[in-house]
Amino acid sequence: MATMQNVLNTEYFRVIHPLDDAPEEKCSSEGLGHIAMTPAVRISLTVLRGYLILMTLMLGYHVLDLAGALHQLR
Amino acid sequence: MRIVEPQLETAAAPIKGVVVRRRWQRHLLTFLMVFGPGLIVMEADNDAGAVSTYMQAGGQYGLHLLWILIVLLPICYFVQEMVARLGIATGKGHAAMIYERFGKWWGHFSLFDLLLVNFLTLITEFAAISLAFIAMGVNPWISVPVSALGLTLMVVTGSYLRWERIVIALCLMDLTWFVLAYIVHPDWAAVAYFTLVPTMPAGGITSSLVFLVIAIVGTTIAPWQLFFQQSCVAEKRLRFADLKWARLDTLIGSVFTVAVAGAMMLVGNYGYQHRIAFEDPAQLALALGPLAGHFVRNGVLLLMVNAAVLGTTAISLASAWAYGEVKGWEHSLHKKLWEAPGFYATYIACVGAAAAIVLIPHVPLQLVIVSVQVFAGLILPSAIIFLQLLLNDRELLGERWVNRPWNNVINWTIVAVLFALSLLLAAQVMLPNLFN
Repeated sequence: MATMQNVLNTEYFRVIHPLDDAPEEKCSSEGLGHIAMTPAVRISLTVLRGYLILMTLMLGYHVLDLAGALHQLR
Repeated sequence: MRIVEPQLETAAAPIKGVVVRRRWQRHLLTFLMVFGPGLIVMEADNDAGAVSTYMQAGGQYGLHLLWILIVLLPICYFVQEMVARLGIATGKGHAAMIYERFGKWWGHFSLFDLLLVNFLTLITEFAAISLAFIAMGVNPWISVPVSALGLTLMVVTGSYLRWERIVIALCLMDLTWFVLAYIVHPDWAAVAYFTLVPTMPAGGITSSLVFLVIAIVGTTIAPWQLFFQQSCVAEKRLRFADLKWARLDTLIGSVFTVAVAGAMMLVGNYGYQHRIAFEDPAQLALALGPLAGHFVRNGVLLLMVNAAVLGTTAISLASAWAYGEVKGWEHSLHKKLWEAPGFYATYIACVGAAAAIVLIPHVPLQLVIVSVQVFAGLILPSAIIFLQLLLNDRELLGERWVNRPWNNVINWTIVAVLFALSLLLAAQVMLPNLFN
């Protein structure tokens, strides 16, 4: 996608497909380690853990229900 | 961005690209070169499960749920825009970023859940292929293996662009939904009204209505989409300057997908008007034949197959890319079969195993569908939380790529809504008596 000028000073453009273009230096996580535990990250991961525990408990209840174990208890 | 100097062009090292004279030509051509991942991720989301859900919505509630699609449009766009931005900024897939920034535990959890829910979804895609071909009189022992073979041949050519062009052509075949919607003659004034004005169906809020609304949200924003588009953007090596075109691609994909979903609801609405009870789109198609003609009947069946094929290739690739990223394997469609054996083996194993399971007599498809909903409820909130946190990771992305404050307000709202809906859906599936 470079802009060029020829000898007659007429502007023209070369459009290069991303797959044919030279690689760019991207944002890399190399050497950064894990994400910094800011309050937002800590709260988000805690909420996520709580959510997953709740879902697992519901799944366990559903499996026991399907197996008829809860029916016997009632 | 590379600046190309004309005098460097030699016979030995030809400069690639196309020369144009006008600025608008440059913009159009650049857009066309970038175009693809956004449309594919959105349209592949209109997979067999989505066809079934949208047609059920039309079949059970007529035009009443059309407005939900308008609400979902910005949600789709904002979520996938974040994915495209992260993919362009890092050049890596979502699974790799979770693994690198949140550690092995969260990385493995996300990967395992993604692979599981994707595989279960693939079974439903092949079930749809089987049902549609049975309705057309083709034995599933022919239709399912041939479909699996075709889906494999699509990716093993060693060319990302070849795969992309085939899939874009399949996406554009979904334009036929608009023809079908036109043929069934909906009341266009009513369509416009119910699209723009939120209304409640006659029976009020019922358990089945809540379930269907959540299913529409769940089918419009699926977990594999986050992984797929980021890997696809990385695979296409989109550059920083391509972001605005990737955003336009994503916006076009979102609008097209929502419009196609609306057309599916209109076809379902035709069944509602004629009081046709159906459990899957193939049944509706057969019932529509005598009323709307063979074109509509065969159109719905073929588009059902097309939706399943699109869903299968995208979902299988999402799995293969994610697994390859975490394992550190070569994971690219640019590679030949023997250059990335693990990547292609994952894709072929996903497609082959799902196809084989569908051919087992009396396979419990209802259990598979319920499991998809439960595991999607597990992975979607977690994947979207990681996405939001990564887009606020200044250490990784710097100021240029992180979310702006207004982005965060919108995206945290979307995260909260998706969390609540996923929990509600999972609760309704696992504790069905809770809402009675």
